[in-house]
Amino acid sequence: MSKDRNQDPILTMRNVSVNFPVKGGLPFLKKGIIQAVTDVSLKIKRGETFGIVGESGCGKTTLANAMIGMVKPTSGEVIFNGKNLYKIKRDDFKKTRRHMQMIFQDPFSSLNPRFNVYQIISEPMFIRGEDDEETMKERVVELLKLVGLSPNDLYRYPSDFSGGQRQRLGIARSIILNPEFLVCDEPVSALDVSVHAQILNLLTDIQKQMKLSYVFISHNLAVVKNVCDSMIVMYLGKIMESGNSETIFKNPLHPYTHALLAAVLDTTIRKDRKQVILKGDIPSPINPPKGCRFWQRCPYAMEGCKTIPPENIEVEKAHVVACHHVNGFPEIELPKDYKNKVNMEEDS
Amino acid sequence: MEQVLKLRNLKVIFPSHGGIIRAVEGVDLDIHQGESVALVGESGCGKSVTSQSVMRLIESPPAITRLDTLEFNGKDIKNYTHKQMQDIRGKEMSMIFQDAMTSLNPVMTCGKQIDEMYIRHKGVSKKEAREYTIEALKLVGMPEPRSRAKNFPHELSGGMRQRVLLAMAFACLPKLIIADEPTTALDVTIQAQVLNVLRNMQKKHDMSLLLITHDLSVVSNIADIVYVMYSGKIVEKASVEDIFHEPYHPYTRGLIASVPKLSDTEKEFSQIPGTVPHPMKKPNGCYFHPRCQHATKQCKKAMPPLISVGKNHEVRCHHPLKDMKKEGKA
Amino acid sequence: MKNKLSIKHRILQEILKRLKNIGLFLKRIWSHKQGKIGLTVVTLLVLIAIFAPWIAPFDPYDVSDRTLKGLPPSTTHLLGTTLNTGQDIFSMLIYGTRISLIVGVTSGICIALVGSILGVMAGYIGGAVDSLIMRIVDIMLVIPTLPLVIVLTNVFGRDYWIIILIFVALGWTGLSRTIRSLVLVLKNSNYVKAAELAGASRWHIMIRHILPGTSHLLIMSTALSSAGIMVAEAGLSFLGLGDPTAISWGKMLADAQGGGALLFGAWWWIIAPGVGIFLAVFSFMRIGIVMEEILNPRMKQSSGVYKIFKNLNSAYVEDVFNSMDDNQKIGITAATESKRKGKEETDGTGIET
Repeated sequence: MSKDRNQDPILTMRNVSVNFPVKGGLPFLKKGIIQAVTDVSLKIKRGETFGIVGESGCGKTTLANAMIGMVKPTSGEVIFNGKNLYKIKRDDFKKTRRHMQMIFQDPFSSLNPRFNVYQIISEPMFIRGEDDEETMKERVVELLKLVGLSPNDLYRYPSDFSGGQRQRLGIARSIILNPEFLVCDEPVSALDVSVHAQILNLLTDIQKQMKLSYVFISHNLAVVKNVCDSMIVMYLGKIMESGNSETIFKNPLHPYTHALLAAVLDTTIRKDRKQVILKGDIPSPINPPKGCRFWQRCPYAMEGCKTIPPENIEVEKAHVVACHHVNGFPEIELPKDYKNKVNMEEDS
Repeated sequence: MEQVLKLRNLKVIFPSHGGIIRAVEGVDLDIHQGESVALVGESGCGKSVTSQSVMRLIESPPAITRLDTLEFNGKDIKNYTHKQMQDIRGKEMSMIFQDAMTSLNPVMTCGKQIDEMYIRHKGVSKKEAREYTIEALKLVGMPEPRSRAKNFPHELSGGMRQRVLLAMAFACLPKLIIADEPTTALDVTIQAQVLNVLRNMQKKHDMSLLLITHDLSVVSNIADIVYVMYSGKIVEKASVEDIFHEPYHPYTRGLIASVPKLSDTEKEFSQIPGTVPHPMKKPNGCYFHPRCQHATKQCKKAMPPLISVGKNHEVRCHHPLKDMKKEGKA
Repeated sequence: MKNKLSIKHRILQEILKRLKNIGLFLKRIWSHKQGKIGLTVVTLLVLIAIFAPWIAPFDPYDVSDRTLKGLPPSTTHLLGTTLNTGQDIFSMLIYGTRISLIVGVTSGICIALVGSILGVMAGYIGGAVDSLIMRIVDIMLVIPTLPLVIVLTNVFGRDYWIIILIFVALGWTGLSRTIRSLVLVLKNSNYVKAAELAGASRWHIMIRHILPGTSHLLIMSTALSSAGIMVAEAGLSFLGLGDPTAISWGKMLADAQGGGALLFGAWWWIIAPGVGIFLAVFSFMRIGIVMEEILNPRMKQSSGVYKIFKNLNSAYVEDVFNSMDDNQKIGITAATESKRKGKEETDGTGIET
C-alpha cells in the first residue's frame, strides 16, 4: 500500500440524501416522504473510528446502511476505496462490498436460531464459495479464540449463549472475510452495562490487529468519547455538529450536543440535582421542520431558526457546526451569554 | 420510618429440562416509607424474579418458591389468595415494566387503560376517571394529555409509552412502586426525562420505590439504598453513598468501573472478565470467585456469609476490599 | 466448474440433513402420548391401504350374489353386507382407506408445496409478484367453494385426480398467506441482512434461511390440511360428487343413506364408514397438534415444564433449597453436596422418571 493511498479517505459521502415513500391506506396513494437522511457529506479516514451520534429516529442507521450499500441513496454519492458504490457494475459491487461488514445492535435477532456456531460464523466464507470444511473450521476456531470464546462451543446453538457472548459471535462473523471497513450499529446498547466494556475493548483490540476502519453508531456520548477519533452528531437526518471528537468534547457548540452531554448519566451521586434535560421527543421525519431541524426542542430557538436552515460553518480546524447561534444570522447578532445558557433550563 | 416491605429468605427455583435453575437463593429485602431502593445486577442474576415474587407474580408451576416472611405495609401477604393480591396490586403496590409496548393493551386507548385503574380501585365513574387520567398524564409530563389519552399505544413514541405506564403505576398513589428496568429501552435523553419524573413523583408523594436495573449510572441518580445481586444472592447492601464511595465487594467495584463516563480519558475500558455463571452450573464456594482477581483457596471452597462492615453496610465476601485507591479500580 | 459441482453437493448434503431431521422429528412426536396414538393409527391405516387386496376377505365391488343382501355382522361378514347390493362392508371399508388416504395426504402435500412456493415468492420477491399472488388469494378466498366444486366436477369429470387438483387449487390460499407474512418477518431479520452483506444470492438466502424458517409451518399444515381434506372428500362423495366408480367412505355413507340403512335399521352400514373417517381424521389431527406443540417454542416450554414439575423429586428440591442457606454454607461442601452428587449420578437431573 503506498503512502498516498493510506491518506486517502476509505469512504466519502457527498450530499447524500435518503428518502422513503410512506404508503397511505389507499393503494397507489403516497402519504408522504420520510426524509431519513438529508444532505450528508463526510469523510472517513483509513484506520480511524468514526462516530455517529443521535437519538433513535435521527437517521443514523439509514446513513450506515447507505455506506455499506444496503440502501440506495435518493441523491448524492458514496465513494468507497475510490469507487462510487452505486454506479459500479454488479460484479464489482459484490467484490467491493466484501470489504464492508456490519455488527448489529440486537444480538438476539442477528443470529439464525437454527444454525450452530460453526454454521453462523462460517456462513460468509461459505457464501464466497469456500467449500473445504477443514479450512473453514480452522478459521472459525481461530476467530472464536480471537473473540474470547472456546473452540468447544463450535456446535452449540445461539440460545445457549448470553447476550455478550452472542455479540462476540456476531463480531466473529463480521470479520471472517477480513474486511477493511466495519459498521458497528449500537453494538452494546442491548447489553448489560457490565458487558459494554468487554465488547468495546474487544472491538478496539480487533481494530488494532486487523487495521480496520470503524463506523461506530451510538446514542450514548460517554461510549463514543473514548472510542472515536472523529464524529458527527445527527438530528432528524441532518448533521448538527461534526469534526474531531476530542475537539467536540472539549468545545461542544451545538445546543443539541450540549443536551446529549447533559443526558449522560455517570456514577456521581446527584440525588437532589435539578437535572438538565431536553424536553419532548424527536419529531417525525415525515414532515421535518423547515429551517433548523432542531428548533422545536431548542431552548435557544429564535424566529430566524424556524425558517432559515443554518449552514455548515467550520468554526475551528476540523470542527463544523450547523447552528445560527454559532454562525449568526445575517442580520441578528449572537447573544453573548449563549454558551452558558444553552439548554440549562431546569425541569420542575 | 415505617417499614413498607419486609422480605426474608426468598428462594426461587425453576425446574427445567437440563436440571434445576437456581434463580434466587435466599434474598432479604427491606424497604421503608419514602425510600428508594435499587436492586442491581446483570441479566440472569435473579433481580426480576425477586421483584416479581414481591408482587406474587411468579407462578407455580413452573417455579417453586420458598420464603420465610413477606410483609407488606404491616400485613403478612405470604399466604394471600389470588383475589386478595389483586386488590393490593395496582392500588397499594404497582409495577412498571421495561417494555412499554407489550405491557400496554394494543387495542385500547392509553387513556382508557389508565381510567380502568381509577374505576377499579377508586370506584369512580367513567367521566371522573378520565379527569383523573388527564391529571395523571399531566403530572408525568405528557404533552397535550387530553388528546394523547385518546391515542393507541402504537401511535406514541417509546418515551411517551413509558410515561403512560408511569401514569398507570402512579394512578392510585400506591405505597410501593416496583420499576423493572424502566429506562433500558430508551434513548439517553428520554431516559433522563423518565427518571426525572419517576424521582419527582416518588419524593412528592412519599412513596417507596424498588428499582431493578443493570445500570449503576441510573442508580446514582435515584436510589437511597442499593442492593447488589450476583447469581441469585445479595453480595453487597449499603446506602448509595457507601456503594459508590466505599464499595467493599470486588463485583460492585467492577460494576462501578464498567460504567462509561465522560470523564474517562483512556481508550481502554475497565471490565469485569468472564461471564455470569450458568444458573444450573454455579461454581462451588463464592459464586464470583472465577471472575475475581482477589480469589483465594477459601473463596473456592465456601460461600462467604453476609457480614456487616459498617452502619447498614453488608457484604458477602471473604476478603472485603477496604481502600479503593490502594487496590485501584478493581 | 468446480464451484457448480460443489453447489450440487451442498444441496444434496442439505437434503440428507433434512431427512435425518425428519427421523429425529418423528422420534419426538413419538415421545408424546397423543403423538404415539396418532402415529400408530396413521401407520395402521397406511398399511391397510397398501395391503387392502390381501386383507379384504371379499371383493368389495362384487354385487353378483343377491342372497347376501343386508346381512348383519357375523364371522364371515365381519361388518355385515349392504342392503341393496350385498357387498361386504368390511372389504369396502378396507378399500375405502385407500381413497381417503390418497386424496387426503396427496392434497395435503401438494397444498404445502404450492402454498409455500407461492407464499415464499410473494414474501421474498415482493413488488408486482407479491401483489399478483395476493390478489389471486383474495379472489380465491371470496369464491364460495361448494358451488365451484360442483361446477368443476361437472366440467372436468369426477376422477379422483381431478378432485385432488380441485382441493389443491382451493386449499393453498390460506397457507400461502401465512407463509408470506412469516417470510416478511424472516426477510427483515438481521441474520438475513448479514448474509446479504456477505454477498449471498437470493437463492442462498431462500434455501438456507427462509425455507427452513417456514418448514415447521409446512409440516404442521400438511398434517392438519390432510385431515381437513379427508372430511371434505367424504362430504363430496356423500353429496354424490365423488368418483362414482371408486369406493370411498363418503360414498359408502351416501349409499347407506340412499339404500335406506336408517329405515331398515342396518346400523353397521352407517357406523363402519363413520368410524373410518373418524379414525383417520382424529389421528392426523393428533399428529398435527403434537407437531404444533413441538415446533411452537412457547407451547413446548410450558408443556415440557409441567411434565418435569410433576415428576420432581421433593426430597431433592428440599436439598437444593437447604443448600442455599447461609448457615449451611460450610456444610454444603461436605454433606449436602455429596448427597446431591450421589443423586445426580443416579438420574442425572434429580428427576424421577
